[in-house]
Formats: sequence, C-alpha cells, structure tokens
Amino acid sequence: MPNKPETLLHCAPITEKTGIDRAMRVAIQRARHGKKATAFANQQAFDMAVAKLVHAIPVDAQVAEWFANEKLIPVVRQRWKKILLNPAVLAILLALVVIGGVFAYRVREHLRDFPGADKARRLLTVATSTRSVLLDPLKTDAGALSDLFFMKYRLEHYDVPAEFADFKTLGTRVFDDEEVHRVAQIWVVEKRIQFFLFPAEPDKEGKINDFSDWRFVELEGWTGAVTQRNGVCFMAAMRGSEDGLKPYLEKKKQ
Amino acid sequence: MTGDAAKAQEAFQNTVREAALRSARDEPPPDRLWFFRDARWRCLAASEQGIQAEPGMLEEVEIAPFAPRQIEQLEPQQLAVWISAAPEPQRTALALFYLDEFSLREMLSLLEIKAPEFADLIASGRRQFQSWLDATTPYYDGEDFDAQQA
Repeated sequence: MPNKPETLLHCAPITEKTGIDRAMRVAIQRARHGKKATAFANQQAFDMAVAKLVHAIPVDAQVAEWFANEKLIPVVRQRWKKILLNPAVLAILLALVVIGGVFAYRVREHLRDFPGADKARRLLTVATSTRSVLLDPLKTDAGALSDLFFMKYRLEHYDVPAEFADFKTLGTRVFDDEEVHRVAQIWVVEKRIQFFLFPAEPDKEGKINDFSDWRFVELEGWTGAVTQRNGVCFMAAMRGSEDGLKPYLEKKKQ
Repeated sequence: MTGDAAKAQEAFQNTVREAALRSARDEPPPDRLWFFRDARWRCLAASEQGIQAEPGMLEEVEIAPFAPRQIEQLEPQQLAVWISAAPEPQRTALALFYLDEFSLREMLSLLEIKAPEFADLIASGRRQFQSWLDATTPYYDGEDFDAQQA
C-alpha cells in the first residue's frame, strides 16, 4: 500500500467504508483539516457526483436478471479431504495434536502426583546414573538393613516394606541430597532393582500423610513404585514400565 | 468497459460459463475478484478489435467547485460512453473506482498496477473529465457557488 498522503488522497474512497487502511484514514483526516481542505472537498464532491451518475447507468435487463439470480454460478465448497491435505492445515493439525498430547500427559502426570513425587523423580535420575562401585558391597536381606540404617546413620523408620524384604542385596549407601536430604540407597540382585528410602514430603498444610498403597512415577524409561510409612518414603525403582514392578507388589496381597 | 453492450454481454456470459465449467471440474473460482479479473480480460480482448483510444490526447483542467452541478446535467449514458472511450488501463481504473464497490487493495489487484500509477490514472481522469464537462456542459452560475458547501 502507498504511504504518500497525496497518492492516497487521489484514490480516497468516495463513501466512508469500514476496513479502510489506517494510512488512508489519517491522510483523509489531515486533508480535511489542512491547507488543501477546499481542494479535497471539491474532489470528494466531484467523485460523489460521478459515482451517483455511474450507478444510474442502465444495466442490460438480461444481465440484471442474471445478477439477481444468486444461484447463477454453482458454488462448490472445498471438500474436507482437500482442506485436510493442505500443507498449512496439516501442519496446524499436527501442532495441535502434539500440544494436546503434551497437555494430556501433563494433566495425567499431575493427577497421579502425590507429595514427594518430585523427590521420587529426582531419585530416579540418581538410579539411572548409579554404578555399583559407588555403593558399599553388602550381601544380606534387604529387610535386615533397617537396623543398619538406625544404628549407623540414626535413620529412624528407614524400613524396607515386606514386599521387598526378602530381596538379596548387592550394596548400599547413605548420602545427602540438596533437595531430598538423607537418602538410603540399596541395590538388589533381582533385575538390578534399586530401593530408595527418603524423608516424606509434607502436604500444603504441613502435614505428613502416609499412604500404604503403591504410587508410580516415571522418568526417562525408569519407573518407581512409592509407598510411605511412618513419615518415610520407600521407592523401588527399575528400568521399564509399571508392568515390570506390579508382580512384586502383588506378592504381598497373595 | 467496452463501449459496446453486446460485447460486454458476451464477455460477461463467457465469464459466467467459465466459472460454471471450473466448478464442474471441482476447481471453483477462488474469490469474487476472479470474476471481475476474468471479465476484464475478456472485455479487453473484445475491445482490441475496435478503434483504440490514445493516451494523453485529452486536455486537462483542475476540478471546478461547480463540477457536481455540471455532472447533474449529464445523462448516465454520456458518462458511460466517456469512460468507455478512455484508454486502458485508465478505463478500468475509472470504472472500478466510480463503482465504489472495491477497496483500493482490490482495485490494485484487479488492475495489476502500483498505487502511484492508479492515483495518476484517477487524478488525470478527473481533470480530463472536467475539461470535457467544461466543453460540453458549461456552468454559468459559478459566481454564486460556495465551494465550502460542495
């Protein structure tokens, strides 16, 4: 669109319409209140008179009849298939699907969350990077480590649940994490599962609400099954999905 | 556009027929401007066979304050003939502009020209028409005319 006011004024619309460009509106306003107001008024009056005469030009009766018939030209609507195959539409749909998927995943993750879920996920990252050499070798039953944690590290209620108490250990360690604080990590023989015991997270009201069921967290191909008793969370973490851990959790029920 | 009602009607019919054929082929006209663009080219093709107007042949004078009163005295057919006698693309520019149905952007798209060229066509068209008005419809009561009321 032109920017020069003079150019715009020469083709200023005869009647005020909606949707006129801002540059045109500004040029008209300035012309009406500037030095060229008289000349512009003459031009507008001239244009209005000519336009009035143009609309009075008789139209051929047959042509007028055709224009009166709204169905003169069949309007074929674009078919859905054609619209959907348009690259722009496809790109938008794909973007919407991805956004929807991410949103649904976030909502699902949020619905399943519990106090301490963030800590559990953080420990899953520890599980992914842990090498056996980092742990102190110790071959015993996992259930027997409660006494060790209490006697050596003063960690009260750091108990391995009955579901995993019989598992043979390969090694263990206790370390401090900036966010999770005192963490006990146990590596067991069975499918290289790792156990984590860590302080429970209080809820928004500052209360610690234990839960005896198993709740799951996932991160980068690892899954953790978490339960909370006596203010201490226990997490069994292994590479894979929930299905890999469920058989161990159902043993106790049976 | 053609200065000949029969030619214009034929161009219009052919445009409508072409639109119907495109619709039948599942390729309907993309927008309303297609009709005007197609009809314009058909009119140009039809009028090429007749006598052609030459650009720059008419005198030009500034718009007079009393021009609306001169225009009121004209018959619509006189204006139609005057516009149809203008050279292309001025003829189409004047026709589209004074139909007052199109935005500036649409007119530029239909004519496939730039805004300064369009502005020149309209401005010179006004001055030429004023000159023609002065020659054919002189106005003798100009002394009493108040330009501010125009």
